[in-house]
Amino acid sequence: MDLVAGRTFANERRPIRHLDPVLLLVTAFLSIIGLLTIYSSTHRSLEVLDEDPMIYVKKQVAALVLGILLLLVIATFDYRFFKVYAGFIYAGTATMLVLVRLPGVGSSANGAQRWFQFAGFQFTPSEIAKISLILMLAAMLSELRSPEPMLPDVSRVCIVAIVPMFLVFIQPDIGTTIVLVAIVVGILVVAGTRPRHLLALALTSIVLVALAFQLGVIRDYQLARLTGFLDPQNSADTTQYNRQQAEIAVGAGGLFGRGYLAGTQTNLDFVPEQHTDFIFTVVGEEFGFFGAIFVLALFAILIWRAIRISYLSKDPFGTYVAAGIASMFAIQMFVNVGMVLGIMPITGIPLPFVSYGGTAMLANFIAAGLVLNVHMRRFK
Amino acid sequence: MEKSTSRLKILAILVAFMFAALGTRLWFLQVLSSASAGKAIERQSIRIVKVDAVRGDIFDDQGRKIVDNRISLEVRVNKQELGDDAEAVLLRLSDVLSIPVSDIREALDDKDYFDYQPKPVAIDVAKDVAFYLKEHRQEFPGVEVVEASVRDYPEGSMAAHILGYVGQINAEEIGDPSFKGYGPNDLVGRSGLEQVYEHSLHGKKGLEKFLVNSNQEVIRSLGVQEPVPGNNLVLSIDIDAQRIVERALVQGIERTRTIFDDSQDPPGYLKANSGTVIVMDPSTGELKALASWPTFDPAWFVGGLTRGRIAYLFDNPQAPTLNRATQLTYAPGSTFKPFVALAAVQSGIASLGGYYPCPPEYEYPNDTSHTIFHNWTTANLGTISIARALQVSCDTVFYGFGGDFYGRYTSDQLGVDPIPLQKDLRQFGFGRVTGIDLPTEADGLIPTPRWKEGFSADNPELFNPGEEVWLPGDNIQMAIGQGYVTVTPLQLATAYAAIANGGKICTPHLVDRIEYPDGSLAKRVPGHCGRRTLPYTQAELDYINAALATVTQAGGTAGLAFSGFPLSDIPVGGKTGTAQRPPFQDTSWFAATVPAGDPQYVIIAVVEQGGHGSTAAAPIVRQIIEGLFGLEETGAVDGGSND
Repeated sequence: MDLVAGRTFANERRPIRHLDPVLLLVTAFLSIIGLLTIYSSTHRSLEVLDEDPMIYVKKQVAALVLGILLLLVIATFDYRFFKVYAGFIYAGTATMLVLVRLPGVGSSANGAQRWFQFAGFQFTPSEIAKISLILMLAAMLSELRSPEPMLPDVSRVCIVAIVPMFLVFIQPDIGTTIVLVAIVVGILVVAGTRPRHLLALALTSIVLVALAFQLGVIRDYQLARLTGFLDPQNSADTTQYNRQQAEIAVGAGGLFGRGYLAGTQTNLDFVPEQHTDFIFTVVGEEFGFFGAIFVLALFAILIWRAIRISYLSKDPFGTYVAAGIASMFAIQMFVNVGMVLGIMPITGIPLPFVSYGGTAMLANFIAAGLVLNVHMRRFK
Repeated sequence: MEKSTSRLKILAILVAFMFAALGTRLWFLQVLSSASAGKAIERQSIRIVKVDAVRGDIFDDQGRKIVDNRISLEVRVNKQELGDDAEAVLLRLSDVLSIPVSDIREALDDKDYFDYQPKPVAIDVAKDVAFYLKEHRQEFPGVEVVEASVRDYPEGSMAAHILGYVGQINAEEIGDPSFKGYGPNDLVGRSGLEQVYEHSLHGKKGLEKFLVNSNQEVIRSLGVQEPVPGNNLVLSIDIDAQRIVERALVQGIERTRTIFDDSQDPPGYLKANSGTVIVMDPSTGELKALASWPTFDPAWFVGGLTRGRIAYLFDNPQAPTLNRATQLTYAPGSTFKPFVALAAVQSGIASLGGYYPCPPEYEYPNDTSHTIFHNWTTANLGTISIARALQVSCDTVFYGFGGDFYGRYTSDQLGVDPIPLQKDLRQFGFGRVTGIDLPTEADGLIPTPRWKEGFSADNPELFNPGEEVWLPGDNIQMAIGQGYVTVTPLQLATAYAAIANGGKICTPHLVDRIEYPDGSLAKRVPGHCGRRTLPYTQAELDYINAALATVTQAGGTAGLAFSGFPLSDIPVGGKTGTAQRPPFQDTSWFAATVPAGDPQYVIIAVVEQGGHGSTAAAPIVRQIIEGLFGLEETGAVDGGSND
């Protein structure tokens, strides 16, 4: 029904008139807050080293421009083309995830091998894996004969999902693995999977994770972060320190914040990885409780728009794509901010649109482009 | 879509819970417990300490270390932090370190440095002294003991002029954008390769962050951004060759000083106060050795110079820090003749088959001043070939060429090519820098009529008013490497290399490649040979090379200096030179290509005030060749007094 139907759309009302301005505005706001906080958290260290204090901001702006271009390109095509090519995209991503493991091809830092390095930029395929998994699962579930996925369908979905999950997990990148799990669960719930199937899935996952611990797939430092969250008194020194300093930074912000570029925790680099995973400490310290609530509100609007578009979609594929993207943004926001606030383990998930990171930026704009696309072409 | 709506509600409710959890936690952290976070901030602060990068090492062509670094306990004084009773602190310090207080004060008062720069006043301080200073910190405000990385020279003073030395960055450099990222205690290259390759050797500072409490006591390290060590230099220099060359130069100079030369004006013992030697690979332009004497030890600069050494280095007419191979120019004397011969053949003034008179004296035809130009010997050698004229270094043959070049100038003043000799000499690279990777290279001079007009306008007192500016004598003198002609020994090496390698001008260089600290290749310094080539045929070059090989044989000007040398196994092409430099004694030159025909080495030796070329320079070169080819050393040879 899909491709053939695509032709008839040419005569329809022009999709460009059905952009979602609220969604665009929210992503723009979040990106600008990202640039401001990245500068705040990096400029001093760079100045001390006599380097360009804007270097991270400049790189992020480059990614932002590229991301906006990608968003425009993706919004131009009918989103159902992605359904046709979902298999290719999925296979391509899986190949990249294998390639990045190869010594000499992928680059590594902190004991993890995660990116391709070229021309001064890094490309992280696991960021793209989230999008391609959403497209693949949405394509599979929208083609079911039965109105709800039966056990064989759920199993097939799980087999398809486990491949990128495993490849990301062994990098090791537990954060992205968690996001992939949330995407699978989100799409399965919206597709109408029966509760007992979901329960069975949960049990299997627990067994697999336990197995992973037993086989030593999880590295010591990851374990330390996880147990540090569960048992703050006895956790490894550094993990404990990161958590403390992040909480002090956010706490010091108070109601109104200490003012932009005036956060001493931020400026003096107490908090590690502050321009990436811990970027929310800058929001907390410099803009205070109201600033933090404002940013959370922006995320709430973002996720609300995605869920709304999922509801408005004319076909199941669009519904599942938008639901998957809503789940992705929600889990990333929750785990990231929760980690900064000390209620989630430290897992290294970037805050969408805000954290420094080129590939994540591109992935987020691709995701925004996809939900926008579904919105623009919501009329039958 | 009914069902999917209710399922989306499940998703929305889950998300709502997420926001509720985060909002609650934010409320708790930022409103309820904000005060305690504020107190926690007051209790801690961060100190950022820069970590110096280790300067790169320097290796010879076989990877043997010539320069590396060692750790030294260094006492530094920050003038601005000495406090109210600065004199007392300095007196106490002088007592502990056993250095005169005047020396410390002098080091601190150096106008080249900012007051805020802590200045090293003592290096290699004993551990107990360092410990004492640290223990009694209150008595020594502004005084710090640091573990500094300083230059170390495993080969001692070897290759000092090549390596150069390092010193603390000065006030002028700190403000210079090319020294961005340098700290007030950083070392920078001051001469030689240390200066030219400063930005490769220096590396990049790292940072270490410490969490400190309100007493500034370190609680913990917050991580290190590791410094990036400087890159290493791998030279074309071979330290075995360098050792041979330095020894031969010093011994040759000492030997020369025992020689009484009655041809000097006034007759006397030769002073031989300085000299230089270059060994170059003519096929690549790589230098295998370079020595200049008098010399110095770059280790003297580590931690500051003593007053005696400052006087020796900088208030010394012999200027020991000067690299005589590249930074001084000399009249080349007869070592210039092969180039003049080639230029004469090229311009049609002479031919390789021609024969030319070699009388004791020469006078330019129709010269109203009747200036007489003498050969270096009073013998009349009859009519000889160019090859023979080179072998016996006949000046009068070349005076004739010079006179003809003057005739060409007067008859063709406004023509296309009125000064072919100067044009050819410039093609050899004379009159311009060679481009070697050493700082402040001299360019020398090939005088032209236009240059001399400017020169006479600047120095009217040297010239008779109304007289013609460019005179026959200018060309005649130039033909034997005298008059206004000056060259650096390195230019001469490049020119002899070009004759030896088939006419390619090479850019001489000392660094073969730059390596990362792990030994992998960062950059290969390319040899530039043949970007410019000489306009002569291979037959013409072969003729000159064959002629030079007869100079070291019996009957040649270096025949005595090479008597007993196994020339049949290792033929040596050579040329002596004796440049007059009144009121000083003659400059002694020898240029050699070994083995002649297919040379591995071009060797240039110069001894200032060393008398004739065969007296001082030729025996030095012989000793070097014996060393390079593993022959038994002959020791002192009497080269005689031949040009």
